[in-house]
Amino acid sequence: MTVLRLDGVTKIYPGAPPVHALDGVDLAFAQGELGAVVGPSGSGKSTLLHVMGALDLPTSGTVEIDGIDIASLSDRALSGLRSNKIGFIFQDFFLISGLTATANVAEGLIYRGLARSLRNERAKYALERVGLGHRLDHRPNQLSGGERQRVAIARAIVGDPAIVFADEPTGNLDSATSEEIAGLFDDLNTDGATIIVITHDRDLAAHFPRLIELRDGLITSDTALRA
Amino acid sequence: MKSRLRPVDVVGLGFRGLAARPTRAVLTAIGIAIGIAAIVAVIGISASGRADLIATLDRLGTNLLRVSPGSGVFGTGSEVPEEAGTMASRIGPVESISQTTRVDASVRRNDLISELETGGLAVLASRTDLLDQLSVGLVDGRFLDEATSQVPTIVLGAVAAERLGIEDLEPLPRVYVDGHWFTVIGILEETELHPDVERSVFIGYPVANTLFETTESPTALYVRASPDFLNDVAEVIPATVNPQQPDAVEVTRPSDALLARRAANEALTQLLIGLGAVALLVAGVAIANVMVMSVLERRTEIGVRRALGATKRHIRLQFLFESILLAGIGGILGIALGGGITIAFAANRDLTLSVPPEGIALSIAAALAIGALAGLYPAWRAARIPPAEAVRK
Repeated sequence: MTVLRLDGVTKIYPGAPPVHALDGVDLAFAQGELGAVVGPSGSGKSTLLHVMGALDLPTSGTVEIDGIDIASLSDRALSGLRSNKIGFIFQDFFLISGLTATANVAEGLIYRGLARSLRNERAKYALERVGLGHRLDHRPNQLSGGERQRVAIARAIVGDPAIVFADEPTGNLDSATSEEIAGLFDDLNTDGATIIVITHDRDLAAHFPRLIELRDGLITSDTALRA
Repeated sequence: MKSRLRPVDVVGLGFRGLAARPTRAVLTAIGIAIGIAAIVAVIGISASGRADLIATLDRLGTNLLRVSPGSGVFGTGSEVPEEAGTMASRIGPVESISQTTRVDASVRRNDLISELETGGLAVLASRTDLLDQLSVGLVDGRFLDEATSQVPTIVLGAVAAERLGIEDLEPLPRVYVDGHWFTVIGILEETELHPDVERSVFIGYPVANTLFETTESPTALYVRASPDFLNDVAEVIPATVNPQQPDAVEVTRPSDALLARRAANEALTQLLIGLGAVALLVAGVAIANVMVMSVLERRTEIGVRRALGATKRHIRLQFLFESILLAGIGGILGIALGGGITIAFAANRDLTLSVPPEGIALSIAAALAIGALAGLYPAWRAARIPPAEAVRK
């Protein structure tokens, strides 16, 4: 089953001259896939991530998330889509500094309108899934970089989204920790999560079964390393 | 498939947003607190003062007229008929009457003090019913009666007693009135309606006549009349008490002075409330400023929240509520502060404490409205931030 489909997607940022960040991208992801999008900086990776994750709309072409064409959606509906279908992981983690790990993860459910006790319960479960069951009440400044990224990953998966997007998830981590995070993505994928990682780190990308290369807003190769 | 943010979570986000920068929140709230405190204190103090004033007026009555028959165009020369008081009491609505007459003498603590140092005190011959007529009481001793009016005894007004340095009647003090020693038998309480009485000393008519040749021609008549006909009485009194020179007669209503003072106080009150309102306005601008700054600083937080599924409306609500909360905290601080000032002031001045609840409700409403207004623009800006840009590295 396809959870994400891009058809002739372009994204042009107006200006003089206009920037063609995406220049006709066709792409499809099936449920349960784990893939990486690699490319040098300026290749359009971030733009692709924003368009795929419904944070931004394409200039032309269609983006379908779980069968829903996002072009037709209002801001409210797009937000609803993000809160229910999509999880984001950022390079800088973007955790809220004053909150415990549990509260940070629970924040991932606040826009679902769930009661606080339920949010906390699910947050604890998600933290256990990423191996942080012993760090529930720690604040971000009491955690290592790798642990912070695990909290961010827990926040992305706490709502069981259809797709998880990770934007340079190991960009701020040393190589040993990067390995661990890559392993965690493997584990989560084995449990059924669909994960798309955007990175310029080829070593990280080499972990994943599917590798998509992007250059100048175009897909130059799309290979399944281990079918 | 919708995003939903429960109202209780909006509240939680607001508190959390402020708690993340507590110093800034407190400093910003102080602005509102000062404005609200000023307004609450001014309303409270003026209401307490008004309650007191109304009580005073009720006690003293507003149906008293003070009539100075006048001394003619050429000063002391002309005299009012001695029977002026009797004639005035024949006017229908007049209920009672009393009088005093200026004695041509000065009062001093003893005979060693120069005759010129009168301390601004007047010696008055008084009828024995004066105090009842004025509703003035005594702090010590008693007033003149039929017996003590015959002998050199004297009663001091509150200010007169103070200026003569006499605090109590133990042992019976004496004062010196132009060659004669008078024994002090009473001290009057303060009376804001009759400053002239406070600054006078009183002796009986018989003794005044014997020692200083004072006549019964009044220099002040105190007339109580039926409240409904007070104006009519005031109109006919001049011709009645001084038929030769009715124009020289001055009729005043001592309670008018209190009312005038109240009017002046109210103008001042309004000015102070205006100043409080300006303080509130300035505080509102400060809140808007701080909130705009906060929105700029929290761009990534806004981006992350949008990525987590917040709608524009959720972001707007979050910042709007934070602003309202900030002002609300300031408002509560201000009410506590203003209430404290009012209580302290009322206790200090012995006023009846009266803080109108609608004043409190109104100032809280004003604070919240200011918070909402100040938060509108920052909230709108926060919601307009495109999520993709806000999370861009």
